[in-house]
Amino acid sequence: MIEVPVTNNTEKFNSATNSLVSTTKEPLGGKLKLIFGIFGVLSVIGIISLILKITTLGFDAKSGWGYYAAVVSLLLGVFGTAPMVAIAPTIAKADWHRPVSRIATMFTLAGISTSILAIPLIFALPPLVVDGIRRRSIWFDANIYTPHVFFGIAVIGLFLVGLGLLWVTSIPDMAIMRDHSSGWKQRLGKSLSRGFVGTEGQWISLRARIGMMGTFYFMFLIFVHIIYSICFSLELVAGWKDAIYPMYHAATGIQSGVATVIIGLFLFRKYWKLEDHIGIDQFWALSKLMFATTIFWFYFFICAFMIFWYGKSAINEMTIAILVNGPYMPVFIGTLLLSFIVPWWIIIWNPVRYSPWMLSVVATIVLIGSLLDRIRLYVISWQVYSDEMIHKRYIPLDEIPENMIAPSIFDIGIFIGFVSLGIFAILLATRFIPVVSIWERHQSILLTRHIKFHRTEVYAVGKPD
Amino acid sequence: MVAEKQSKFKWGMAIDIDKCTGCQACVLACQSENNIPINTEDNFKDARGIEWIRVERYWEGEFPNVKAKFIPILCMHCDNAPCEPVCPVYASYHTVEGLNVQVYNRCVGTRYCANGCPYLVRFFNYWEPEWPESLQNQLNPDVTVRSRGIMEKCTMCIQRIRRGTRKAKRGNNEVMDGDISPACVQACPTEAMVFGNQKDPNSKINKMKNDKRSYTLLDHLKTNSNVWYLAKVDEDVDSHSKEGGH
Amino acid sequence: MQQRRQLDEKQINRELLNGNLETPKWYYPVMGVLGVGVLIGFATILYMFNRGLGVTGLARPVYWGLFITTFVFWVGISHAGIMISAILRLTQAEWRRPVTRAAELLTVFSLLTALFFPLMHAGRPWRIAYWLIPYDWARGIWPNVRSPLFWDPIAIGTYLTGSTLFLFVALIPDLAILRDRTTGIKKTIYSMLALGWRGNPRQWQLQVVAGILLSALMLPIFVSVHSIVSWDFAVTPAVEGWHSTIFAPYFVIGAVHSGVSAVVTMMCLMRWLWKWNNYIRPEHFDALARLLIIVATAWLAFTFLELIFSLYGRDAPEIALRELQIFTWPWNLIFITFLLTGYVIPVGCWLFKRCRNNIAIMFWTSILVNVGMWLERFLIIVPGLARKQVFVYTWEGYWPSPVEWIILVWSFAWVSFLMLLFARFFPLVPLFEAKESQVFTTEMKVGRATVPMVIRE
Repeated sequence: MIEVPVTNNTEKFNSATNSLVSTTKEPLGGKLKLIFGIFGVLSVIGIISLILKITTLGFDAKSGWGYYAAVVSLLLGVFGTAPMVAIAPTIAKADWHRPVSRIATMFTLAGISTSILAIPLIFALPPLVVDGIRRRSIWFDANIYTPHVFFGIAVIGLFLVGLGLLWVTSIPDMAIMRDHSSGWKQRLGKSLSRGFVGTEGQWISLRARIGMMGTFYFMFLIFVHIIYSICFSLELVAGWKDAIYPMYHAATGIQSGVATVIIGLFLFRKYWKLEDHIGIDQFWALSKLMFATTIFWFYFFICAFMIFWYGKSAINEMTIAILVNGPYMPVFIGTLLLSFIVPWWIIIWNPVRYSPWMLSVVATIVLIGSLLDRIRLYVISWQVYSDEMIHKRYIPLDEIPENMIAPSIFDIGIFIGFVSLGIFAILLATRFIPVVSIWERHQSILLTRHIKFHRTEVYAVGKPD
Repeated sequence: MVAEKQSKFKWGMAIDIDKCTGCQACVLACQSENNIPINTEDNFKDARGIEWIRVERYWEGEFPNVKAKFIPILCMHCDNAPCEPVCPVYASYHTVEGLNVQVYNRCVGTRYCANGCPYLVRFFNYWEPEWPESLQNQLNPDVTVRSRGIMEKCTMCIQRIRRGTRKAKRGNNEVMDGDISPACVQACPTEAMVFGNQKDPNSKINKMKNDKRSYTLLDHLKTNSNVWYLAKVDEDVDSHSKEGGH
Repeated sequence: MQQRRQLDEKQINRELLNGNLETPKWYYPVMGVLGVGVLIGFATILYMFNRGLGVTGLARPVYWGLFITTFVFWVGISHAGIMISAILRLTQAEWRRPVTRAAELLTVFSLLTALFFPLMHAGRPWRIAYWLIPYDWARGIWPNVRSPLFWDPIAIGTYLTGSTLFLFVALIPDLAILRDRTTGIKKTIYSMLALGWRGNPRQWQLQVVAGILLSALMLPIFVSVHSIVSWDFAVTPAVEGWHSTIFAPYFVIGAVHSGVSAVVTMMCLMRWLWKWNNYIRPEHFDALARLLIIVATAWLAFTFLELIFSLYGRDAPEIALRELQIFTWPWNLIFITFLLTGYVIPVGCWLFKRCRNNIAIMFWTSILVNVGMWLERFLIIVPGLARKQVFVYTWEGYWPSPVEWIILVWSFAWVSFLMLLFARFFPLVPLFEAKESQVFTTEMKVGRATVPMVIRE
């Protein structure tokens, strides 16, 4: 057994606290002000585009909502699943997650844009009974507006649970803010920290709450992905029966979530000057996670494709035409390249996984791939939907449209605007929540040690129960 | 693929359900032609009876306004047969003449083809086949007796097809429509079943398969079957389900 | 919760080799009973070969029955080894150490057993033996690469080769210890197997690198094996209940569920039979049970999705199939048992720390899981075939005959027999892992608390 020396950590503690608190306090520089401004303006453009789209298009022209649905799906992945990067390693007791978890959790704030975008889509979704006949649905004989209600509750619930998760995980930091600042920040810290002073009981209850909130968020997230993927794409295509599809949707969502966290981590580390707190270890661990999720993309895709391709029945042929070799084949090829082949081929090399900026490039590629993936899945689902076709057993091959539809100018505005809105929300929050959680930073100072062992130096990690 | 295009024949069958009386003559003819072991009562109770062609009976309506419908089901000799790709030893195989045949020598008895077949027309030999002493001399010398442990199925009486084409070749004649007929077609008293070459434009089968009453079974599976059915003419029913035939 | 005790290396050697250097009292009686079971099983198999498959309960349209179920079951169990040793090795879970050897062993022997079943379920097994596996060049016909039954032997063969290598690489240092403690013919055999292991730094480095490489290479095989087994079923469009896209991940996660549970069962037995209380501790059961809760819940979610989407199409055969599977006697009883034993009872127990740390409860719940998982495969295969399409014609069910039941029991006796035979000659807990774990875990004081620590390279 290796003896672990007892060290005094007070100094390290204080310097970590001070440097992290100062990130929220420093006045905005000119460049940052500009960035805040740009994202603010883009958000406004997004909201205007949304209003214009609703007023000009109306809810009856289903094919016009395909790109919109794809954007919502992408945001559910990009912003919605990013907190999973904080939750999963916490449950698995991995030690690398500590500097990452706050950044990952802060993406729940960006969920505001997903929640706003989801509401018009609910009105566009056709009811379960079309032309007096019930269409095929996982809700079977439920009330005809059940999916609408459940999805609405789920997506707003996800946002609220996310906020709860962010709040619970930042209670000790709020207490620090209460003790280290003045004015509105002190008052805010006081009300949000709920009298946290760091007694043993408070820590125990905090840990329990984080565990509960995390599990709850995870379950909510999977629920949202299942409902969204089934109700807003699969059910709109007559005859498409694909049991792995919701899980594929969730797994690829997590892939884009990991990519988002990598990019976020890279940017914050660089521009908030957090090199002391966020090490290469974090990128190393995240890269492995991204590698795994990238392979998951392929595995889940091939599981579905294999069945349809081998089955060769009319329904199978139709499904392949819808998903792969139909009008959206160029998009599919783009997805295959950017979601799987290119990132997979880059990320298997060790030097890439040690380099934050290379990883960020891969993450960007993955995000573009995810966008294409969502376009391939959603646009055609809304394009082939029609009130007559939905009751057929399957769509005959010759009735599948031959051409892609292009996104309207509003769709592009909505996409850019609502991504910016999410980023803007996070940027605003960085003014009072430190981007690296101070208490978890303290924890890693306490629980990790570099110890001399014979002729080498080893790295020891404490694993409290 | 090329060989299939060059081949002079593509065999097929058409069955007019309207003419079928459910008399089971085809079943009996098939049993005796193809050396199928006697299906005893016990065989049927075990659900292990072997019938290359079977007549399914459907009752429609309530007594006394009840109708019986019959549909003979045999191997569809699908162009896109689900039984073929799954066989690990190529025992289930497609000839250039469009027949789906079973090569008994290759078969190892995985029964995967039977699971793949949606029409349930493939049969497994659970036991060594046996015939009573009195029937020993009845066996058809042109047809292999299948040992236990292998699959078997309708061959469209390939021995008769071979005999017919050989005879025509020796006499330097073309195979004429109606020259060759499998045992079931030959035995059908109402001439509900027709066998022929689909590549012969004047053949009877081509006329029947292009009839407006014609349909194939389970065509949503896209098996591209080579057995066509002509729907029953029924004054009470305006439209006939094209899918399952029942 | 510190259950670990500081042990010196001599004690580790003495305790972990207690089954190898001397024979335990229970050993011969147990092996005798298992041996009789194995003999009866082989006699039954020979009887079946002699008479034909008529002695089974198979009938149209259920052409695949208990044998294929059991095949899938044993392939599922085999996922234990790689799950425990490769995945947990790559994620550096410290608690994997004492169970790696036993888990890999279970992989090898369950795969060997699984291979029997597709062979004996075939109508003419002797033909497979010389036509399919060593390819018969004389016939001039390739095996059909499109057939999932051809992918199966390739996947399983690769998996078996890989896991055997994996097992052997991890066994070398322990073989050297045995070599140094035996005499005569035994010593000769152990020396040959130990490949001249001296324990110098270079050898250790090579051994570690081989272990990591093998685990990384085994992962894709691990996923593909059960995916391919599931595709045996899922690719057939003719069987509505099978033709589902979720089958591959669903089977893989189900396999992990049953495999890890089987490892738990084995750990309990190892603790009871060889008294290795210092090595296999309640904390290991606790960690495995927590892993199992996650795996089981994911598996339940897949089960649920599979069910939802089978009904989603509202096709008549699917509805008939689910009616048979869930509501018709005796399948309804099997279905309820499967849900209760596969998920509800075990996971209900594992939620409580007291149960996770209780060896007897862990033993019985892990056995329940495998009862449930066997029933799951049975419920997928048999009712799926019984109601596969509209032309089923004979709506007879299928019930296995006594011959099939005997062969099922034989497979369990056979695996246990092989495991015990192995345990007589080789240590079931890796000695070097136990020693490494002594070095790699430590503890530190944080304030007033003592926190267990793990060393990372």
